[in-house]
Amino acid sequence: MSILLSLFLKLSAFSLVAFGGVSALLPDLLDLAVYQERWIDLQTFSDYFAIAQAAPGPNFMTVTLLGWHLYGVFGAFLATFAIAWPSSILIFYLQRLLLGIKDPRKKQAIQYAAAALAIGLVLSSAWEIALHINHGMAAYALTVFTILFTIFTRWHPLYLIVLGAIIGSMGLI
Amino acid sequence: MSGFGGVLPWARRTLVEKDKILTSEEFSAILGICQIVPGPNIMNLAVCVGSRFAGARGAIAAVLGLSIGPILLVLLLAVIYDHYSYLDSVKGILRGISAVGVGLIASTGLKMMRDEFQYPAMLLVVVITIVAASYFHLGLGWVVLIASPFALFLAWKKAHKL
Repeated sequence: MSILLSLFLKLSAFSLVAFGGVSALLPDLLDLAVYQERWIDLQTFSDYFAIAQAAPGPNFMTVTLLGWHLYGVFGAFLATFAIAWPSSILIFYLQRLLLGIKDPRKKQAIQYAAAALAIGLVLSSAWEIALHINHGMAAYALTVFTILFTIFTRWHPLYLIVLGAIIGSMGLI
Repeated sequence: MSGFGGVLPWARRTLVEKDKILTSEEFSAILGICQIVPGPNIMNLAVCVGSRFAGARGAIAAVLGLSIGPILLVLLLAVIYDHYSYLDSVKGILRGISAVGVGLIASTGLKMMRDEFQYPAMLLVVVITIVAASYFHLGLGWVVLIASPFALFLAWKKAHKL
């Protein structure tokens, strides 16, 4: 029970600082689950990350899977609820306030500030996650290829995920 | 459920183009706000759109409608994973997918960064954030606390300059 409570409280706190969405808090989640609390090992974390990427739907599924690992279906829903409720309540009350700001420059400034924070957090998240779960040159090559491909083409990311699965199944990564 | 690689493009297509619930400008304005606020972006969007039509109940309905299906599906995948994770080919597949997944996250950040070059001083905030998070290994809360004064100051200047 204390595990559930600690999971709930820590994820709730993450929810309020996760500028850039759940992608931005993955390193903190990894640190918490693997190194501090030792809920799961690094391999399981990166496998959950992969499953969350491959599944359709929102990208907070790594959190859901962590909850599932700890306490089954109830844990999964609890973890998802924990990551979402603080920010949901925040946006519920904040949206009218923000939409109501008359001075367009004030509005712009808030948007620019949040965007810059989000970019920094998302990029450093990608960097740290890569250091933890990419083993070997082939994995990094695939990551770099994915980056270039998504920046320079308009292909759907699903093709890249399928490509990653095929390359991986051949034992190349 | 059909949101492979993120739900946003799909949400836009349904809400704006098909059902015409929102105009394109309204969608962009709401999306802009949802990206300001921390937390799962898509949940935030659901709260905004849902509450617009039916207040708090609408928000809750939208969030549940958006998340329950995908959660059940991912749990199904997790059960399958538990049965087959010992196979070398499954391990390989997951390694391949996670390498791609990291790349997708990085490219989301890089694509957003394109806009920052119209006011390069803003990149300082990006650098501060990355250094605080990746070099000093500070937790997310501290990083936000340290970087947000710079972010707000520079954003204020940027908004007055452009």
